[in-house]
Amino acid sequence: MAVPTSWLIALRSLRRNKLQTGLTMLGMTIGVATVLTMISLGSGAQLAIQDQVKAAGMNMLIVTAGNYQARKEKPPDDAIEMGAVRTPESFGRPRLVLSAFHPEDDPFAVHDHPTARSRLGDSEAGLGAAATLTMADSDAIRNLPGVQYVCGGVHENIHVVNGDTRWFTRVHGDDVSLPNIRRSWTFLHGGFFSAREERKNDQVVVLGSVAATKLFGTDNPVGKTITLWKQPFKVVGVVSSSSWMIAPSEGDDQFDAVYIPVTTMQSLLNLSKLNDITITTKSTGDVTRVGNIVTSLLRNRHHIGPDAPDDFTVASQAAKALSSGGLRPDVATAVTGNVNGLEKVTLDQLGRTLDKSSRTMSALLASIATVSLIVGGIGIMNIMMLSVTERTREIGIRRAVGARAHEVLMQFILESVILSVAGGLLGIVIGVVAAIFIARSVQWSTSISPLSIILSFGISAAIGIFFGYYPAREASRVAPLASLRYE
Amino acid sequence: MPPVISVRDLTKTYHVGEHSVHALRSISLDIEPGEFVAVIGPSGSGKSTLMHILGCLDQPTSGQYFLSGKDVSHLSDDEVSLVRNQQIGFVFQGFNLLTRTSALENVELPLLYGAASISAAERKSRAMAALTAVGLESRFDHHTNQLSGGQQQRVAIARALLNNPSILLADEPTGNLDSKTSIEVMEIFQSLQRERGITIVLITHETEVAQYGSRIITFKDGNIVSDTANDNRRHAAAESAELAAVTEGAA
Repeated sequence: MAVPTSWLIALRSLRRNKLQTGLTMLGMTIGVATVLTMISLGSGAQLAIQDQVKAAGMNMLIVTAGNYQARKEKPPDDAIEMGAVRTPESFGRPRLVLSAFHPEDDPFAVHDHPTARSRLGDSEAGLGAAATLTMADSDAIRNLPGVQYVCGGVHENIHVVNGDTRWFTRVHGDDVSLPNIRRSWTFLHGGFFSAREERKNDQVVVLGSVAATKLFGTDNPVGKTITLWKQPFKVVGVVSSSSWMIAPSEGDDQFDAVYIPVTTMQSLLNLSKLNDITITTKSTGDVTRVGNIVTSLLRNRHHIGPDAPDDFTVASQAAKALSSGGLRPDVATAVTGNVNGLEKVTLDQLGRTLDKSSRTMSALLASIATVSLIVGGIGIMNIMMLSVTERTREIGIRRAVGARAHEVLMQFILESVILSVAGGLLGIVIGVVAAIFIARSVQWSTSISPLSIILSFGISAAIGIFFGYYPAREASRVAPLASLRYE
Repeated sequence: MPPVISVRDLTKTYHVGEHSVHALRSISLDIEPGEFVAVIGPSGSGKSTLMHILGCLDQPTSGQYFLSGKDVSHLSDDEVSLVRNQQIGFVFQGFNLLTRTSALENVELPLLYGAASISAAERKSRAMAALTAVGLESRFDHHTNQLSGGQQQRVAIARALLNNPSILLADEPTGNLDSKTSIEVMEIFQSLQRERGITIVLITHETEVAQYGSRIITFKDGNIVSDTANDNRRHAAAESAELAAVTEGAA
């Protein structure tokens, strides 16, 4: 049998009273739609805040070449130190000599710190200067579980030239995945360079918005050519910040900067090493664990013995962000106005505060929605109670032809459940549409999780059973005889 | 063959406030299979109470009621429901059909309850057969409010017959009908008795209607005052043929 008779009875009965059925369902529909919309607004706000916090780098790890800790070992024999005092065998007299000329050492044209192992050993090199990280390391990290994006980088200071305009700024040689890591990035013009351009070592450049303004004013620089290291670079994009927590400003590391493919930078400067590797984790809470895995992976790859210190440093961005002032205090103050000494608040704390306030907001919205659900439920109960009185005769007829008390109970409960679940399903559809509509029209972030849909569905079924039980029990107690006298 | 209905010392007392109303005072009677018994009496005579007890809609204060040889006066609610479903067919004065429901679905109703599960197709074919028996097969999809009083009563009869009950209990079945349709309904009752041997208990306060029965039991103040075979029986089929002839003659 396709449909159990109890369902058939309930469905036929609901069909008999179409208007009543429709109106009762409407109450439930509005209730569930409200709940779903409210939850989606609440969790949308929460997600938006989490996003902003992530955009500020909460899930970011940075592996920097070198270590603060000095090693007590001699520099390699082939290390050439600039300005070293040497004693040439032929003259027998100490004499200050400059090392052989190297293109990277030209103090006038290019850059200012040595990178290659041949000129400076790992031992005393400071952060970023040691030549210990390679592209292979970055590829190995990319394959670790829990890792989202990996980007190896080489960083220098540079004069960027557009015609007569010169601007001294940072140049970052980076991987194509960088825009995925810098979640707060938005491209004002063009976009980031492509994987193909990176593979082919193309001379393309993406300008930070500050650098772009300095060089081009308000013009759109995409397609124009600028000069780095006396080499022509084609501008492919201008990047700015979409997050209120990070505002572009002169001298910052992200937007007063230019970006070129790391391969291009390595081949132009004749480098094989990376200064650092930026990693994002899939989940914010995973940063420490992934950091430990990366550490052991790199120690293994670099063949570092158990007693030897790391030749790299793994740091999470959360701590860094505070010191570099990546936060916009005015906005933060507006949100957490009652927090004293905001400049001392870490990003982590701020994130937690924002999270908490958005959760309060969600709770408020949810409680409003709950009220409307209860109203919907009481509506169902009201109708069911009314129909027990109104349908005494019908119940009597059913009893007379052989319906047992529990069959009548089942019929009324099923009617109530069908009403609330059908109303609930319709409400879910309307709620989802409303959430999408709100997101599109008012630009509020909304988020509908499968969980909130399952929850709404469950709540509506539960309301059907809960508010349907009492009327149904009343119905089942109607005496078969009483109904026949009821005219 | 044992009697279909056997009632022994049946009493029913209602308590209204401090008063006791004795609706039935120690009734005993037997009804044999195939009988068409008309129970007659003024209102308050206890005939309706008897019918409720015979129909297992109510339970006696004391006494025993054997339906097809089985004592049904002290069964549980669920057991009694099953008895009503399987062994008793009801026809009421007010038709008692479900409103806003098609004739077919009304007739199907007893099959939705009861122990056995029946397929939708079988349910429909049995309901259609019952509707055909009362001559309403062409109106199976009409809602009850689209049917005349006589047609509604015929739907109710079809519903009552669906589970092939041991007895058909009719409580003032013609009370809401005009004389012509009353004759039509009685014609169905008499043919059911004659052709299918169905036992019928008809409750009425009208002597003319009681005359259709093969046996007449008269009630007064909760007692049986007379119980006689009806020698002077009316025949609905003949009357309706006569009526048709008169109508034709007039035309």
